Amino acid sequence: MAIRNTTQRWGALAQLLHWLIVLFIIAQFTLATMFDDLPAGPRKLALLARHKSIGITILMLAAVRLAWRWTNPKPPLPDTLKPYERSLARITHALLYALLFAVPLAGWTMSSARGFPVSWFGFFTLPDLVPKNKALYEMLLTTHGVLAWTLGVVAIVHLLAALKHHFVLKDDVLRRMLPFTAPKAQGSGR
Amino acid sequence: MRRAGHAALGAMLLATVATHTLSAPLPTAATTATVTHYVLDPAKSSLEFNFSQAGAQNKGRFRRFTTALDFAADQLAASHLEVTVDMTSVDTGDQERDDTLKDADLFGVKKFAQARFAAAQIVKTPGGYEAVGRLTIRDITRDLRVPFTLRTATEQGAGVAYMSGKTSLRRLDFGVGQGDWKATDQVGNDVGVSFALRLTAR
Repeated sequence: MAIRNTTQRWGALAQLLHWLIVLFIIAQFTLATMFDDLPAGPRKLALLARHKSIGITILMLAAVRLAWRWTNPKPPLPDTLKPYERSLARITHALLYALLFAVPLAGWTMSSARGFPVSWFGFFTLPDLVPKNKALYEMLLTTHGVLAWTLGVVAIVHLLAALKHHFVLKDDVLRRMLPFTAPKAQGSGR
Repeated sequence: MRRAGHAALGAMLLATVATHTLSAPLPTAATTATVTHYVLDPAKSSLEFNFSQAGAQNKGRFRRFTTALDFAADQLAASHLEVTVDMTSVDTGDQERDDTLKDADLFGVKKFAQARFAAAQIVKTPGGYEAVGRLTIRDITRDLRVPFTLRTATEQGAGVAYMSGKTSLRRLDFGVGQGDWKATDQVGNDVGVSFALRLTAR
């Protein structure tokens, strides 16, 4: 599989970024439910620290991914889609990209507002985005949660759509984002 | 020429003898008159600490502490320093964290409301002075040397001293961190302490 995208399928880097972000998002939800129930203590701090580090990683990967997307060819949406389906797909993808930035940024800003600097796995400390502000922290805590759940819901819509393409419409929309699968031999030359 | 040299040598010897006599420990009655007793100007003084939390440096301070300094640059043997810190006045800028710090596993303020540093000895160093004393936190006492600089001045006819410095300690040496808090991966063992004090002569 080529590193770069073709008009047939996503390249190795786009796939790697896609699936890494999927894994990290699942880890983020898991960590969040784990530390939400914990009392203040080193264990909660450890899980929170991991959550923040992974969140910043997602932010970095999202930036790379967007840059890569803009400098690579894109496999087009199947011709079989109705105009409203095309719009729906575009809106879902735009929303996913926006949330990949918005959720970590809200989390980072929230930590700054709380007065707790964010460290990336202990390697370096990120600058505070805003000065300490209790009211802003409370607001961002809610915002971060709402955005995260929105991301979760949109991601599930995205997943269901991919499954529909694969099992109902039987096109190669899902397959072209999967490693180790040859693109479906259809109308070669595209 | 040679005579002049001898005279100078003689003067130096005399001076040496004189300073030695002065800096030697004198009877208490004589020294109390020459060292100045200073007390803290709380409004213009700060006692801060920094620590690593989740890989990032965080800061805190104590809002209430007292300082008693007996000091004279030429009477170091008779100089001493005592600092008492109200551990309930910890302020890291985060109420939840402050409450956690006051809990039994960390400062344990219900049982150990105060920390105390007492230095019976102050020595001259190339950069300033060093208070050689003992620090007590949670009733655990350890030796600690605190380097500091001190500048005296007269402000509106009153003697004042500006004292600042920093040192570091390990929280676990004093039992600050029981149970789960003994782990140092999230909250580091090393704690930096810095102070900038304004003292007024009494």
